[in-house]
Amino acid sequence: MTSHWCDFQNADVILHCGSNSAENHPVSAKWLNRAHERGAKWIVVDPRYTRTAELADIYCPIRSGTDIAFYGGLCNYIIEHDLWQHDYVLNYTNASYLLDPDYGFDPATGLYSGFDADSATYSNRSWHYQVESESHWDTAPGGAYAWAAAPGVPAFTPPTVEHPKRDMTLADPLCVWQQFKKHYSRYDLDTVCAICGMDKETLELVYATYAASGAPDKSGTILYALGQTQHTYGAQNTRAMCIVQLLLGNIGMAGGGVNALRGEPNVQGATDMGMMVNEHPAYLKWPNTTDRKSLRDWMESQTYADGYYTNKPKFLVSSLKEWWGEHATADNDYGYDWWPKVHAGGLADTIIPSFEMMEQGKIRGYFNWGMNPANSAPNTANVRQCMSNLDWLVVVDQVATESATFWKAPDMDPASIDTTVFLLPCALIFEKPGLILNSGRWIQYRHQAVEPWDEAKPDYEICDLLWREIRALYEAEGGANPAPVLNAKWDYYVDGKIDPRPVAWALNGYRVDGTDFARAEVDLCSGYGELAADGSTACAMWIYTGFWANSEAPLDPEKQACCRRGHEDPSGLGLYSNWSFSWPSNRRILYNRASADPAGRPWSADKVLVEWTGEAWKTFDQPDFVAAQGGVPVPPNDNAFFMLWEQNARLESYAMEDGPLPEHYEPFESPTDVNPLNGAFSSPCIRFADYPSTKRGTNEEYPIAATTYSVVEHWQTGGQTRMCPALIEAMPTQFIELSPELAAEKGIKAGDKVRVWNNRGSAVVDCVITHRFKPMTVNGKLTHLVGMTHHFGWAGVYATSESMVNDLTPNVGDPNTQVPEYKAFLVDIEKA
Amino acid sequence: MAEKAILFDTSQCSGCKGCQAACKCWNDLPSPTALNADAPSFTGTYQNPPDLSGVTRLVMTFSEEQGGPKGIKWAFGRRSCQHCGDAPCATICPAGAIFVDEATGLVTTDAARCIGCRFCASACPFDVPRYAGDRGVINKCTGCVDRVANGLAPACVTTCQPGALSFGDRDEMVARAEERAAVLRERGYADAVAYGADEVGGLHVIQVLKYGAAAHGQRPDPAVNPAVQLTQVMKPVTGAVTGLTVAGLAAMFALGAGYKRDRRAYNPATGDTLDVDTREVIKHGDGQDTESVKEHILENLPRRKGGDHE
Repeated sequence: MTSHWCDFQNADVILHCGSNSAENHPVSAKWLNRAHERGAKWIVVDPRYTRTAELADIYCPIRSGTDIAFYGGLCNYIIEHDLWQHDYVLNYTNASYLLDPDYGFDPATGLYSGFDADSATYSNRSWHYQVESESHWDTAPGGAYAWAAAPGVPAFTPPTVEHPKRDMTLADPLCVWQQFKKHYSRYDLDTVCAICGMDKETLELVYATYAASGAPDKSGTILYALGQTQHTYGAQNTRAMCIVQLLLGNIGMAGGGVNALRGEPNVQGATDMGMMVNEHPAYLKWPNTTDRKSLRDWMESQTYADGYYTNKPKFLVSSLKEWWGEHATADNDYGYDWWPKVHAGGLADTIIPSFEMMEQGKIRGYFNWGMNPANSAPNTANVRQCMSNLDWLVVVDQVATESATFWKAPDMDPASIDTTVFLLPCALIFEKPGLILNSGRWIQYRHQAVEPWDEAKPDYEICDLLWREIRALYEAEGGANPAPVLNAKWDYYVDGKIDPRPVAWALNGYRVDGTDFARAEVDLCSGYGELAADGSTACAMWIYTGFWANSEAPLDPEKQACCRRGHEDPSGLGLYSNWSFSWPSNRRILYNRASADPAGRPWSADKVLVEWTGEAWKTFDQPDFVAAQGGVPVPPNDNAFFMLWEQNARLESYAMEDGPLPEHYEPFESPTDVNPLNGAFSSPCIRFADYPSTKRGTNEEYPIAATTYSVVEHWQTGGQTRMCPALIEAMPTQFIELSPELAAEKGIKAGDKVRVWNNRGSAVVDCVITHRFKPMTVNGKLTHLVGMTHHFGWAGVYATSESMVNDLTPNVGDPNTQVPEYKAFLVDIEKA
Repeated sequence: MAEKAILFDTSQCSGCKGCQAACKCWNDLPSPTALNADAPSFTGTYQNPPDLSGVTRLVMTFSEEQGGPKGIKWAFGRRSCQHCGDAPCATICPAGAIFVDEATGLVTTDAARCIGCRFCASACPFDVPRYAGDRGVINKCTGCVDRVANGLAPACVTTCQPGALSFGDRDEMVARAEERAAVLRERGYADAVAYGADEVGGLHVIQVLKYGAAAHGQRPDPAVNPAVQLTQVMKPVTGAVTGLTVAGLAAMFALGAGYKRDRRAYNPATGDTLDVDTREVIKHGDGQDTESVKEHILENLPRRKGGDHE
């Protein structure tokens, strides 16, 4: 989230698209209701009428998988009706930047410039800006970048600052604005309605209502979740939302932002910690075999020429110091070479290819920790077959999940499976102390409430036991590559027992001199500005620095910022800056510089986050810009997005794998045969579509568009919630929702079981026949939509089910993230 | 303590059923889960379980109707005790097992006194009290008077995240409901009403019903069966002899309400509840020793006011 949960109350317009927060994030409703009571307009765009839609003012149906058409149409509407926020777009985005003369997009092929058909990838060379002039870092003593040449700092050639060529009149045909306008001019209302399936009147109402947040003093928030991301163009969906919010000047405003509603209590924390295969903790990149082969390569390819990420070397070296401790020295590049290197592209080892590698015998053993892919991965029929090729499988979970019992699935033959399965019971959240981080980036400490059940242990304790055994083996026997194991710093003990508090010191960062973990003496850093690239500081998570900075009481969580419980709110906007700690730097609303105009005057007198008084910045939130340097106030400038080297936000972005602007493509399996917007039909960069296991179905065989989702009564694969009788009683089964029209066509009545199938699998589920799903006309063809919940499986005690809904979902992925396409695929149905 | 009420604003309800689950948890009520069976009780809607029962005091209802500005009206409703001002269940209860909590006006229960006669179920204009067969007692919302007496809100209210449920002085709840209904009407929900201020002597669950009473499963004009008042004539006559009261009222009520009910009798010597016709023990009492029999009889004499934990 760029803002936080409480900030929803400040919105003037709320847009849910690809999320159902009243249902799946119940606490959000508290803050949304407050905005609504104040008079905010509330819009829900969703394939079905959800519980959130019932709370909202406007409901707009949409065919699953067509969000970019919807957002592209909104961009076009905003431009056509001149509803974009001119000063914001001109000064705070790259609208005025001139693109490379080779830049182009061809609607006939649906391809941007730079496509290589053989590898199905793009070269982004032509998506970059034209350069006006260049400048260089001043690393001389006393210069702004003197630190880069200081003793102990790894040698690297600082990047050259390329100042893009700009046209502040926005008239140049090669400027981002003109290209942008041209691109989305194709997304007219009729085309969007034909693709997405809603009626024009509703679409116009949605567009007009949301675009009203483009008034400088108004803010609109977009709430999204997996309905946006689980597509073969999920990352582009997210980009589309960002672009809309930039056009309307909603990023950085209280009540604005692009807000990812995370589906698990700590999933934001997991993301920060490097959940993505290619991301090192705190959004740095792992070494690879191309542009990050050595520490020097890393510094030169990753360090931004301008903006805050000029400091990346400090964060990386501090991280290395935490990984390897005293073994990390300037002479050995701080141990950089001990880190593993990710494959080219960095994403070859994500979940979908993992199973492919099991099938090929490349992966022989598998740690399955805190997830349940035999239930939650796409194409689970394929997953359990692949798992049966493993020699061993370790499942760490609170209950015996489908993954732990994959060999017991109704279609499996246990006698023919040789996999040894170990189930390590782990403690529930309330059975261990530790840190948790919510969608609003708040870090909080949770005390232990009860002892773990029976032999269950906290995950970190299981980790520690494994670590000690593995390290002992390497010590005794050596091995292929012992250095990383033997040199790793692993001293997170209190009284000889593994403990989350020393881990907190490591995450927060500290000065190496003056710190002795064994004696619980730590010289903690109070902000990441204190981190250095010369090996004098250690920090595993630079973005968290400050959350645990009280060196006087390093063992007492209650005396750390993450445990603060202050109710003060001088802003009147629900920032609650003294409640817990929000990364980075306790900043509650990211990009808050953009809440004020270029002269530093707030766009809205009611939503003041930062304000230039003429002499200094008056701030209610931690400024997300350089407000002062060396104690001297820095007068307002246009650098509202200083985490990018341009320091302006990107309407057009060269950093995406699959195109600089979001373009509508059809899902891997689509109910229509036409893409009126381009000749590519589906994404040219779609991943894994060539795997035989994906078994693509056509809309002739499977005419019904399907999607999947959660209900509030259950959580994820149901491992925990299906153990709770009150929740089973509240929602006892998995079901398919379908319209009365489709039910009549198929002879299905309330109370019937329904068989749902496609090439990948078949599931028998209960049914909910409801007008909340409506047939729609897609490109002139009557199209039925259905949706299914996915919380059930054969494992567990209560309400088990022989059928696995994820047997039906396709194992294809987004080219940027490789997130699977759970949200749009094809099926057929019949009365079971 | 001033008269209290729960306020339920359907326009702020997300239908999450947190209240339903919290009610189960606080009151330690079981949830039937058929082992490894494929959901025998699924209703084909989001409304699960389908209705109140001997183990369920609160159910969220989900009613769908086409129409309205969004094309569909999905009315969430709260199906539970409304805590009537003139509570017919308390009036008719021969054993003092259902009574009005003086401090709050909430209609609460004392299961230990319940003889399982189920007159309350017949008398209720909202069809709320349910018989828990295995325990031989009536089950209904107690208003969490135990929590309220200790300064807390009822469990359902505390758990409500969207803020659809509130708890406070009844006057204030009524005023807020009226105000909110007016806002909703202004916002295009023409049928929005406040409900509960005057019904059945004034309810202690006040509701804001976005689509009107019927759409949310509420009776637009709830009425108490006149037989309930009629039974009052009998009460002084039969007096403290509970067993006789039961028999007498059973006959009268069955006649007046048109119900054919099982007839029950209470044996003060053993504490057992008997079926009058078959003489079978339906519920074993705890009055096995002299002291507890005496206590039981005393408890059943003049009706005491107050909650379970005096």
